[in-house]
Amino acid sequence: MSSYQDKIRNFSIIAHIDHGKSTLADRIIEKTGLVAQRDMKEQFLDNMDLERERGITIKLQTTRLVYHAKDGEEYIFNLIDTPGHVDFTYEVSRSLAACEGAVLIVDATQGVEAQTLANVYLALDENLEILPVLNKIDLASARPDDVKLEIEEIIGIDASHAPLISAKEGIGIEDVLEDIVKNIPAPQGDINGKLKALIFDSYYDSYKGVVIYSRIFDGRVKKGDIILLMNAKKRYEVTEVGYYAPGPVAVKELRAGEVGYICASIKQVRDAKVGDTITLDEDPADEPCAGYKNPQSMVYCGIYPAEGEKYETVKDALEKLQVNDAAFHFEPETSTALGFGFRCGFLGLLHMEIIVERLEREFDLAVITTSPSVIYKVVMNDGTIQMIQNPTNLPGVMEIDHIEEPIVKADIMIPKDYVGSIMELCQDRRGKMIHMEYITETRVQLHYEMPLNEVIYDFFDALKSKTRGYGSLDYEFVRYEKSNVVKLDVLLNKELVDAFSMIVHESKAASRGRFVCGKLKEIIPMHQFEVPIQAAIGQKVIARETVKAYRKDVIAKCYGGDISRKKKLLEKQKEGKKRMRQFGTVEVPQEAFTAVLKYDDNK
Amino acid sequence: MSALFSEIERQGREYRDYVVDTVFFGGGTPTVIPAQQLAAVLESIKKNFKVADNAEITIESNPGTMNTEMLEIYKRAGVNRLSIGVQSLDNRVLSALGRIHTAEVFRETYKAARNAGFHNINLDFMFSVPFLSEKLWEETLLEALHLRPEHLSFYSLQLEEGTEFYRMYREGTLEIADDETDRRMYHRAVDLLTKAGYLHYEISNAALPGFESRHNMKYWSFDDYLGLGLGASSFVCGRRFTNPSHLDEYAVLYGTSKKESSRRRLPFETAIPNTEADSVFEYIFTGLRRINGIELTDFRRRFGKDFADYYPHKVVYIKEMTEQGFLFFRNGRFGLTPAGIDISNGILSEFADPKTEFKEKIEK
Repeated sequence: MSSYQDKIRNFSIIAHIDHGKSTLADRIIEKTGLVAQRDMKEQFLDNMDLERERGITIKLQTTRLVYHAKDGEEYIFNLIDTPGHVDFTYEVSRSLAACEGAVLIVDATQGVEAQTLANVYLALDENLEILPVLNKIDLASARPDDVKLEIEEIIGIDASHAPLISAKEGIGIEDVLEDIVKNIPAPQGDINGKLKALIFDSYYDSYKGVVIYSRIFDGRVKKGDIILLMNAKKRYEVTEVGYYAPGPVAVKELRAGEVGYICASIKQVRDAKVGDTITLDEDPADEPCAGYKNPQSMVYCGIYPAEGEKYETVKDALEKLQVNDAAFHFEPETSTALGFGFRCGFLGLLHMEIIVERLEREFDLAVITTSPSVIYKVVMNDGTIQMIQNPTNLPGVMEIDHIEEPIVKADIMIPKDYVGSIMELCQDRRGKMIHMEYITETRVQLHYEMPLNEVIYDFFDALKSKTRGYGSLDYEFVRYEKSNVVKLDVLLNKELVDAFSMIVHESKAASRGRFVCGKLKEIIPMHQFEVPIQAAIGQKVIARETVKAYRKDVIAKCYGGDISRKKKLLEKQKEGKKRMRQFGTVEVPQEAFTAVLKYDDNK
Repeated sequence: MSALFSEIERQGREYRDYVVDTVFFGGGTPTVIPAQQLAAVLESIKKNFKVADNAEITIESNPGTMNTEMLEIYKRAGVNRLSIGVQSLDNRVLSALGRIHTAEVFRETYKAARNAGFHNINLDFMFSVPFLSEKLWEETLLEALHLRPEHLSFYSLQLEEGTEFYRMYREGTLEIADDETDRRMYHRAVDLLTKAGYLHYEISNAALPGFESRHNMKYWSFDDYLGLGLGASSFVCGRRFTNPSHLDEYAVLYGTSKKESSRRRLPFETAIPNTEADSVFEYIFTGLRRINGIELTDFRRRFGKDFADYYPHKVVYIKEMTEQGFLFFRNGRFGLTPAGIDISNGILSEFADPKTEFKEKIEK
């Protein structure tokens, strides 16, 4: 007897950024007739404006589709979208764990990229059936045969039958759908077993509370059940279950093999963490789903309101972002330079940029961010350990035995012409080469171990710039390692501006100091007095620049006809000052804080 | 011209209660029109406005645009002050500035003016212009002082967007003094003039005692003035407004055809009156152009509140700038020091946001 599970296909689409994941998702949704074409916003699954603009998916969205296959049967497709960036590896892995298979899109013009590989490895870890698909076949530069070969050689899966498609033009979509039906296994849960369901995403809804996206492996769940989150060890009463198609459709129960949502009056996203296991309180599963991790912030920075009086507004906004993002957290901190603000933790640099951009765009707030920092492990003379993520909090040199910094394993994929310059870059960033391999005749993968602090600084920008955009990067934390890092301070007019302080490797201190002083010299306007800019380690000044005082800023003539015009001029000058931050008597434009962090091509 | 006469008549009716104590013919070179015509304009002004007997009546001019006959006509019509845009006494500098006159022509004009009986003459000079070295500037001033004009203005070249000099400056082909030299030239001028007995009374103006331009002082004292003619600006009853600068538009506005002009609203009527904050800021930034600054009791008389009431948020700033020698408080006056003048824009702009009650209410 055929079970309902035979007609279910749970799958994800995985790809390197820009290879067309969201576009294919759109096409699949369109083909299955779920959403009328005219109702479709382009790229349906990326539901945040910001994501659509950046072309990357940050937040997952899952949809149930009904497909009438060529065999005459109706199949239920649960399309589980995954975020497409290295910062979200863990989230991707949990989404994949909810599937039986993955559609692997490879851009037929570009071939396999670092993230393609990283995602494939994640999928293989979850024992997924991988269906390769070649996209952008309509482009003249497409070279499907080469790319197929690449897939077979690099990934080791058979690509000979991979559908050739153009998601943009709608070519070959049917082949993909049939492929899914034929080759992705149906789920095989035990509907009568103990409830075991995986949380692979959640979001906050102001009416329902936290809405959990879940894959039911065994058993069933319905309204009124008391559920237990096995890692959080918290209990909730289920208020609603259902699925998205794409709007929410409440159902009586969710059964083994299905994917859907569960609401249980949970107040914060961080109470229902991705990777946790849902079971029934009265009859719990023997053990939770494997692979649960508490998301760790890797990168920290200070976020300060550009206008001091907006502190509460920024706090509200951060709280709103946090309910929806378990990986982001913040706590209040103060800076002598910037006043009241927040120390925020992120999964990575992109995650940080996204949060900052959302603050600016969705909440219309102007914020200043300080130099991002990793977490240093500071071993004190007395053997105690402090984890420091704000350079200002670094204890005095005399009290410290040594400092350890996080090291990541970085996989870099580049065309072979750039090997020289990228190896140079990695070396400059204190990278240690583990090995290097030719993926194909023209493409090389470099494996490095590198301090995370070098990666978050401007490594990705430098990599992109030096490879004309062809380089790709994937990294993950491996360990802490003893390192000779020092705190670099910036003094304006002899006064320390803590917001510019950063922790750098001793060998880099002088060049970073010079760079920062040089940048600030360009950005800080002339004052009515000379402004010395100094970079110092402790008491020792290692770089300096001076902003000259202006000598002349005076209107020569001001008679009857000039007054209105001169007034506008002065008001404009005043406005310019408003956008500045006052440190003692020195005015610093807001962009100074980000400018000192930017990669400089001419360096 | 007929539109100008009709404007004079119309505005004369409007402001019949005002006593006019200064008249200034300016805006370039009013001496290019026939002298008789200019005399007729002055005549009409006297007929339509209450012009005081001892009014200061100035005409702006360029050397070489006037002869003895014209000067006599002006004199007879009642003009008693002459302002000459000489700019330089060096022919190379003059030609770089695009001036049509030479130093020789100026000397003749000056002599003719004296002979015609003008006892109140202003000379305009420019510094930080091409070919003008510090030495040449000093020589220029000494020669000018030798002529003993009653009044002297000295401007540094202003590079304004859209001008040829600005374009050359951006391209790096304009050779002029750097900021430091510019300031030295400025202070040298102040020194020489002061030593010669002149009173440095406004950033760019000095005069022998009693010859300060009463007309220009109005601009820096927040007094009312009415501009007549094409593109002329006025400040009357707390409103700033400007006549159209296109001839056609101007002619229609004040045109003799009653039908047309009566339908149009005058610039005064459409002008947005100054807010309290506008007025306070204008008072400050124009007033601080005067070397002896703002009189705090006059401020109070005008605004009914003390200067400090409008700028509680600037107390620290003012204190710091005073300590650093950019501002002074003396004998109930508040002003810019010589060092303050050099960077006055930055200082003046700090006063762009006086705290007024209206604003406070909104904030609450």
